[in-house]
Amino acid sequence: MTQFLIRRIFWAIFLFFVATIITYLIFWVIPADPAALAAGKAATPADVARVRHFLHLDEPIWRQYLRFVWNLVGHQSLGRSFVNRQSVNHTIGQDAPVTASLVFGGAVFWLALSIPVGILSALRPRSILDRVSMTFVLIGISAHPVWIGLLLSYFVGFQLHITPIAGYCNFFTGTVGAQCSGPVQWAYHLILPWITFMILFAALYVRLVRASVMETMAEDYVRTARAKGASQARVMIQHVLRNSLLPVVTILGMDLGLALGGAIFTESIFNLPGLGHEVINAYNNADLPMITGIVVFSTICVIVFNLMVDITYGFLDPRIRPS
Amino acid sequence: MPALEVIDLATSFQTDDGTVRAVAGVSFSVDKGRTLGVVGESGSGKSVTFLTLMGLLDPRLSQVSGSVLLHGEEMLGISQSRLRQIRGAKIGMIFQDPMTSLNPVKTIGWQLEEAALLHQDITRKEARRQAVQILKEVEIPFAEQRVRDYPHQFSGGMRQRVMIAMALINNPEILIADEPTTALDVTTQAQILRLMQRLQEEYGMAIIMITHDLGVVAEVANEVIVMYGGRIVEQANVDDLFVKPEMPYTWGLLGSLPRLATPGGRLEQIPGQPPSLLNPPPGCPFNPRCEYVMDICRVKLPDLDLSPAGVDHRFRCHLDPETRDRIWTVKKAGMVREDAA
Amino acid sequence: MTELLVVENLQKHFPVMRGLVFQHEVGSVKAVDGVSFTVNSGETLGVVGESGCGKSTMARCLMRLLQPTGGKVIFDGRDITQLSRSEMRPVRRDMMMVFQDPYASLNPRKRVGAIVGEPLEVHRMGTDNERKRRVQELLEVVGLNPEHYNRFPHEFSGGQRQRIGIARALAVNPKLIICDEPVSALDVSVQAQILNLLKDLQRDFGLTYIFIAHDLNVVRHISERVMVMYLGKAVEIGSREQLYRNPKHPYTGALLSAVPIADPALGRARKQVVLQGDVPSPLNPPVACTFHPRCPRFVDGKCNVDTPPLDPIGGDPTHLSACHFPLEHWPMSEDEMRRIGVAVAAAD
Repeated sequence: MTQFLIRRIFWAIFLFFVATIITYLIFWVIPADPAALAAGKAATPADVARVRHFLHLDEPIWRQYLRFVWNLVGHQSLGRSFVNRQSVNHTIGQDAPVTASLVFGGAVFWLALSIPVGILSALRPRSILDRVSMTFVLIGISAHPVWIGLLLSYFVGFQLHITPIAGYCNFFTGTVGAQCSGPVQWAYHLILPWITFMILFAALYVRLVRASVMETMAEDYVRTARAKGASQARVMIQHVLRNSLLPVVTILGMDLGLALGGAIFTESIFNLPGLGHEVINAYNNADLPMITGIVVFSTICVIVFNLMVDITYGFLDPRIRPS
Repeated sequence: MPALEVIDLATSFQTDDGTVRAVAGVSFSVDKGRTLGVVGESGSGKSVTFLTLMGLLDPRLSQVSGSVLLHGEEMLGISQSRLRQIRGAKIGMIFQDPMTSLNPVKTIGWQLEEAALLHQDITRKEARRQAVQILKEVEIPFAEQRVRDYPHQFSGGMRQRVMIAMALINNPEILIADEPTTALDVTTQAQILRLMQRLQEEYGMAIIMITHDLGVVAEVANEVIVMYGGRIVEQANVDDLFVKPEMPYTWGLLGSLPRLATPGGRLEQIPGQPPSLLNPPPGCPFNPRCEYVMDICRVKLPDLDLSPAGVDHRFRCHLDPETRDRIWTVKKAGMVREDAA
Repeated sequence: MTELLVVENLQKHFPVMRGLVFQHEVGSVKAVDGVSFTVNSGETLGVVGESGCGKSTMARCLMRLLQPTGGKVIFDGRDITQLSRSEMRPVRRDMMMVFQDPYASLNPRKRVGAIVGEPLEVHRMGTDNERKRRVQELLEVVGLNPEHYNRFPHEFSGGQRQRIGIARALAVNPKLIICDEPVSALDVSVQAQILNLLKDLQRDFGLTYIFIAHDLNVVRHISERVMVMYLGKAVEIGSREQLYRNPKHPYTGALLSAVPIADPALGRARKQVVLQGDVPSPLNPPVACTFHPRCPRFVDGKCNVDTPPLDPIGGDPTHLSACHFPLEHWPMSEDEMRRIGVAVAAAD
């Protein structure tokens, strides 16, 4: 087991370097000038040159990269934003909880919806329930989150005034500088974003669960369980579910890891100050440290979640225990 | 009273292509302590017959008629809960592929205990004791430790032993074995067949051995039924079947065995393919492939007649007895008897 | 009688790797561990053995579908073991394979005509028209309707699909056809058809077969010579008569004994040798003679110390066995069967 973990950590470090190097390379290639953007519209060429020097942008790209690595390893710092000289660590620290609220909350909803629907569809293929849920799946996969988000915020938020249109409230009450706070407000503001975010995933997972359950029900060992005289309920719970949900665990880990990098569309529509929103701004401003910082955070999330999935899988499926 | 009596069982399935008549009227019985061999190829209906009996078919997709008496008690049409009480307790069933017939994420101890706890009112501890005990019965070494292992930690032969253990843990009256050794090596097969015979001597249950392998049948069965196209085409006790088979399909099966044919020579072959159950041919189900087919065979299904030779030996064929005798004598002469090895 | 195929000490070891960053070999699965045999032109060599004996791996090594890790394969007088891809190509025309699973060995998306014609295409034989005619000829030879040229595999039964596989193997007029369990997945009645077909084709086209199967009866029927494999090694090689009437290696004896006899009276009369235990893992084979833990004739100090060589028995160069204490008579005597590790069937 330890061997397995150590191998994974080596792999993680390797991936981290690959991801960040690629980010820097892309940055090197694109024709943006962060110095000019940072200096502002009223800057003179001399100003811009000074800013450029200050931001180390006149150095060769590999030097800038090494500077970044040194900063990270030596000072655990992801640098400072080109735009507002704020610590990237700090910004990410503020944005991550927002994205996390959106993603984890959304995950709870999509699982709560897709697993039962998927199972019921699998139990009654080609029934009305099945056809309805498959239609829903089709819509969910095809409809863009931006479109869904706009529709929801217009009709539910704007016209019907049921939920707020945009904005994020802090979970913890009494946070300084926040317009609203407290768990109720937090959830209230997140309802529409959760629904928007989760629809695509719910659709995909319904299909996944349905296919997996149907496949498992056709397995020989399910027939053996029935031959032993087990009831349908027992067969489903003890024999079918655990086996059929294994693929869900794998994919869930991957999806969560990726989503934490920024649920970009949803955050944009609802103006949630999360990582997705941040990374778009950073891109518009050619804010290399911020972009790189979010890439790093994202990579780490993906790696950690994949690792968790592997370990969980080892608990769930004895055939795959790393030994 | 026979342990199991099946009277005119018929099963059909609704599929997208039409109605498939998998079993078209099958009757037989098995006594305690005896082994019934059920021989047939693909499409014969041999497996479906017993899946029907056990209630393992999807009731929404299948239509069943006839009667199945378990020690005099009717099994068709009873409630699901009564059927569940019988399955696993009065009738145990083992299947063909031991590699996929066990739940991969549960220990075999858990699976054995489940079988016991479903039907006996005992504690978990007692179930565990019974599990270890039955594992010893099926000759699994180090049973106390191995009971905590997972299926993938066992070989194919061992897994099949576990399946047998699971089927027998509640001391059933009947054990149905659907091609239990087909997926196993020949030496493992010999072990498993030997084990089943020993267990039958000890526990006294009836065994129904479904197989396509006539050698296995010769070795373990007392009575045999031969199925083709969803019907029984011949039934006899095992000696009579091999000494004087009465039906062309049986001749064909025996003749196509390399063992009984002249080594290196031409095997007796049955032309054509196993039948489609979607559109069964009218008359005798074997008529499209029968070397001796007559016009009547294509029109009228032969009845299960009693053979003059042998005890309770029935078969379906329109050929007259003299012709049958003649043909079989010629065929038998063509099959060289080898010395026992 | 020319030797079409000579195999010398063929080995295929699969390494088992372990290690954190840099992986090193900690052991190997010796799937094929030094097998030598010859196949004469026009003859059928049967290869029997149970799971894990390496017969399928060996077959793939012969065709260079897997690269042998040791030994030599000499085909038609030429050592093909180390030939490059391009040098192997013309050789592949002479060596074809028929596979076990008729449902998996045909591409479901290709029409039958294309499947059977593919070898012709690969080896650039004939024009399009010539190929089509050849394919139709082949379909007829294997007993199929040449008009079914444009059908898909799923429109055929198992036996018919196997015929398609055979037609495909015949397409380029090979010298050697390796049949890897070609009838195991078929019904008994269809099995006989395919075996008869293979024999007819051998006679008509002068083919040489290597016939791999686990069913001893089938192998006995179709082969002139038979090789028995156990855990990657050949334990006995001989003619059909020698092996089935006078087996020398105890494992051969156990195999023969385990096969059910399709005759109840004979079956009851014989005394069966039933081996105990399972086939050991090829990762960790027993020392010296790999069969010694299960052998009824095991002698401590010899069988677990010295590896028995594959040698001719009693001066007969055509019957070889790898055993220090080969069987003296067959069937085994009561005395022989009472040794350790043997379960004797009680006579009825």
